[in-house]
Amino acid sequence: MENTLNQSIYGDHKPALEKTMNQILMHILEIRKQMEASLGMDPVEHCLGRIKSEESMREKCRRKNLPETTESALGSIYDAIGLRIVCAFVDDVYTIRDYIVDSGRYEIINEKDYIRRAKPNGYRSYHMILKADGQYYAEIQLRTISMDTWAALEHHLKYKKKVSGRQELIVSELKRCADELASTDLSMQTIRDMILEYNNGEDD
Amino acid sequence: MKILLAEDTKDLNRALCAVLNHEGYDVDPAFDGEEVIEHIERDSYDCIVLDIMMPKKDGIQALKEIREKNIITPVIMLTAKSEVDDRVAGLDAGADDYLTKPFAMKELLARVRALTRRKAEYGEGDLKFNDVTLNAQTFELASENSVRLSVKEFELMQLLIINRDHSVSAEYILGNVWSREPDARPDTVWLYISYLKRKLRAVASETQIAGDENNGYILSVKR
Repeated sequence: MENTLNQSIYGDHKPALEKTMNQILMHILEIRKQMEASLGMDPVEHCLGRIKSEESMREKCRRKNLPETTESALGSIYDAIGLRIVCAFVDDVYTIRDYIVDSGRYEIINEKDYIRRAKPNGYRSYHMILKADGQYYAEIQLRTISMDTWAALEHHLKYKKKVSGRQELIVSELKRCADELASTDLSMQTIRDMILEYNNGEDD
Repeated sequence: MKILLAEDTKDLNRALCAVLNHEGYDVDPAFDGEEVIEHIERDSYDCIVLDIMMPKKDGIQALKEIREKNIITPVIMLTAKSEVDDRVAGLDAGADDYLTKPFAMKELLARVRALTRRKAEYGEGDLKFNDVTLNAQTFELASENSVRLSVKEFELMQLLIINRDHSVSAEYILGNVWSREPDARPDTVWLYISYLKRKLRAVASETQIAGDENNGYILSVKR
């Protein structure tokens, strides 16, 4: 047992990493409860956390020309802890982001808004890197159900499209699908706003 | 550019075909209404020139059948000078224009040019306003980011860009974008304006839609 732990790229940090991940997951759960009170619905469709697997972490070190050490895995690479929060509506992505930042529990290292500026292939998501307990980095990806659907489907096709001989057409069609899904997301959000506004009017 | 020419007087038919050919059009001649329908079922045209008085099936009946098939090709009717009723019947049956006999050849050519130009020249290019581009082929709304619009959203955005200099009333929008949908209401317009506002923000554009249901809507720039 001790032997296996010593062989891990995470050294003996794995239990602590898991504990930190679970604390963040608990925090997200608290945020959901608070938001549910004001929205009348749970804004999160699903929420997953994982510790990056041994192989992927070693592979990432090699890709980035880093030595395969615990220092690299915990100090130079930021997604040993990874969380994906999938929301029903676009606005909820930003509300949850604000809750995380405003809580003051984390040091925010970096944020990338690939929703406001989608990647050229159409990928949309809100990425945050934060440091918890002054020790471990975690990457949080926030997105809507349709953005998650697109990313999942695109992932399935990623390796197949290279051998099809129609790569250019496939790439542009995947981008079109992403833009259509994004458009539908915004329409659904507008409809929810209309309903919420109407309900608030009724209360007055 | 392909034209179907229906005229039962053989000499006139031949003369019209020769002139249209000379102008670079590809012309199929027809000599009665039944031939018109046969051609229409076999081929596609950019313009149809249709005499009203023809054997077997007259021009008005042929035109009605063309429109019943949802063929929207521009049609010019050729009518006798005195027959106001024919002209009215022709236009009501779906003709886009008419010429009274006898007519000058150059007027026929000008009318064919006018009707075929409409389809080719309007509504195909990209429309631009401030930092936004609206692609008429793909319905893509783009600034820093891009989304794909639905048909109605596209038509509404197109209308706002074309009428950039003045505000457009909800009534005018309903009449243009929702002309075939009697159930559409000012609420519908308001919702689609809301969609567009959000989508303009989502593509990170500085362009906004100002106005409201009572004063109409107009594009403006955030400052």
